[in-house]
Amino acid sequence: MIRGWQLEPRPRPGPGVLLAVPVLSVLAALVVGAIFLSAIGLAPLAVYREILRVSYTTGYGIADTLVAAAALILTGLAAGVAFRFKLYNIGGEGQLYVGAIAAAGAALWLGEGVPAAVAVPLVIAAGAVGGAIWVVIPALARAYLRTSEIITSLLLNYVALALMQYLIFGADTPWRDPNSPTFPRGAPIPDAAVFPRWGTTRVHLGLLVAIVAAVVIAVVISRTRWGFQWRVFGDSPEAARYAGISSRQVIVVVLLISGALAGLAGAGEVAGRAGRLDPNGLVLNLGYNGIIVAALARYNPLAVIPVGVLVGGILNAGPALQSLPGQNVPVAISTTLTGAILIFALAGELFVRYRATRRPEAPAPGDEPVAVGATSDGGTP
Amino acid sequence: MNDSVLVLTLAGAVITGTPIALAALGALLGERSGVLNLGIEGIMLVGAVTALLGTQATGQPVIGLVIGALAGAVLASLHGFLSVTMRANQIVSGLALVIFGTGVAIFLGQPIEGQALVPGRRLGGTPIPLLADLPAIGRILFQQDLVVYGSWLLIVAAAFYLARTRTGLAVRAVGESPATADAAGIRVALIRYTHVAVGGALAGIGGAYITVRGAPWDQAATTGGRGWIAIALVVFASWRPIRALAGAYLFGIALRANFALQAADVRIVPPQFLTMLPYLLTIAVLIVLSATDARGRLGAPAALGRPYVRDER
Repeated sequence: MIRGWQLEPRPRPGPGVLLAVPVLSVLAALVVGAIFLSAIGLAPLAVYREILRVSYTTGYGIADTLVAAAALILTGLAAGVAFRFKLYNIGGEGQLYVGAIAAAGAALWLGEGVPAAVAVPLVIAAGAVGGAIWVVIPALARAYLRTSEIITSLLLNYVALALMQYLIFGADTPWRDPNSPTFPRGAPIPDAAVFPRWGTTRVHLGLLVAIVAAVVIAVVISRTRWGFQWRVFGDSPEAARYAGISSRQVIVVVLLISGALAGLAGAGEVAGRAGRLDPNGLVLNLGYNGIIVAALARYNPLAVIPVGVLVGGILNAGPALQSLPGQNVPVAISTTLTGAILIFALAGELFVRYRATRRPEAPAPGDEPVAVGATSDGGTP
Repeated sequence: MNDSVLVLTLAGAVITGTPIALAALGALLGERSGVLNLGIEGIMLVGAVTALLGTQATGQPVIGLVIGALAGAVLASLHGFLSVTMRANQIVSGLALVIFGTGVAIFLGQPIEGQALVPGRRLGGTPIPLLADLPAIGRILFQQDLVVYGSWLLIVAAAFYLARTRTGLAVRAVGESPATADAAGIRVALIRYTHVAVGGALAGIGGAYITVRGAPWDQAATTGGRGWIAIALVVFASWRPIRALAGAYLFGIALRANFALQAADVRIVPPQFLTMLPYLLTIAVLIVLSATDARGRLGAPAALGRPYVRDER
């Protein structure tokens, strides 16, 4: 620590600091991104102007941003609802894949004869169940054997990826398009199961599902008995035990909900965006980026919505910049930027939780004693 | 010389296990000082790409390895700054490092996508005289390269350092009870920073070794989760370096057997299921280990993952 200053916990961070940290994090990350872009001979400002244009200002761009945001809000909620209570489900990526597999499976199994009013809700439910199933092992192992859920949930991402690749590239499965034997790809799902779109845009029902999910999660956390138990557990598992709250139940319920939310994102990617199970199109790190969304939103379910739109635009810009003539902007500029935003936000978190104040007294050894008040200008009384 | 498939697979397992061993040792050093670094996978990727670029530019694989180590140390220091100075959540900070590291690595690797070092510039083998001529064992262990031998020395040195030296004792004290260590005059922040940075350098070498040995740059698939397996391995090894090396070689065998089966075009099991095996194996071992551990901590340093804030009142 710098001499003469100390950190003092802030009991309730004000709205100013809560907004300043993410805004400054984004700006600082843009500076880091500019250094990388300059290093490979690109003009950072021109690239950023393009990101703004392709993701946030044109109608087509905004629609694409919202399509990405629909998935990111859900994976952000998935990470947020778990991380907030110190349950580190980092398997959102795999849960999203399995949700997508389940949603596509349900849609294909239902077939053409079913009305949309039945098919769409079933596909959504299948996605949620698929995502939840993929977190069952980490959840039970954590609840009953105290196996850290961090590594088990993460490693299952690689298993889910291999499973998805098997279903399309590995064998003749119902998920695979029978009309494309030489170039394996997912079978198109029936029209009745496809999510309705908003007007002529690509924005689909998934965005509405995401917003409703965010509101529901916010209400459950702040207004229900379950939410109360989760908060007690998150603050102190010890206290939860003394209050008679079953830690096992909290762990399993929270992680299953987290997995289900990521699975919903997978359902949206299948029924809203791709119209089929498309392994190559799904590997966009939507699950991992959900962790960024959650952390930037400080695990607040409602804040996940605007943050999801912001991050959605940045991620969307990566591929969009590829089509820029004359400039070869690496797609990975998006991931570099979102990663840097998270790093700065984490550093800034210190200033949300603490405030720097002048040390009231405590003269360093050897210093002359000074009159009270002479050293503290504006310090705490 | 006619080596059996088994001997060649085991020799290959040593090569496949070495990056995991180095990364696990890196993770272990940080964890013994109380800092959990989940960013290993991102660090390995940056190490892999910078080493490939560095070797291409200079023609010297050793320089590539050094560059990979430095890049790893820089990235890990970022985690050190966030978790030690800024008291950030170490889990989220580590994940941030994975995402940022992956982004930076793919960004830097764009011009060399799919490229590998030309055979002349790869790190070659250095057989150890006499030992290399031993039947089977010689081929498996003593016809390897300098990084493999170096990893043995580092692992043994780290085991000795942690168990038998004064500084090693200080590291363990910081990992178990930073407040006590602080009261005894040990500089907690300094110990944590240095061990996280050195750990990052080791993980960086681990990543660098993959490309310097001749693997192509294939974005995130270059390391393909080896960094995460390394983190799990630290748990299997109860935070002891020599056990981590043994575990890394077991994984090396599992991964190599996988390649061998896939290359042999075994049709009984689809290749995607073989790909799943190492990850499922890791999960199974983790669960079995915690089922047999009554205290539920598996010998983890007591202060692992917790920022240290000196109580000033």
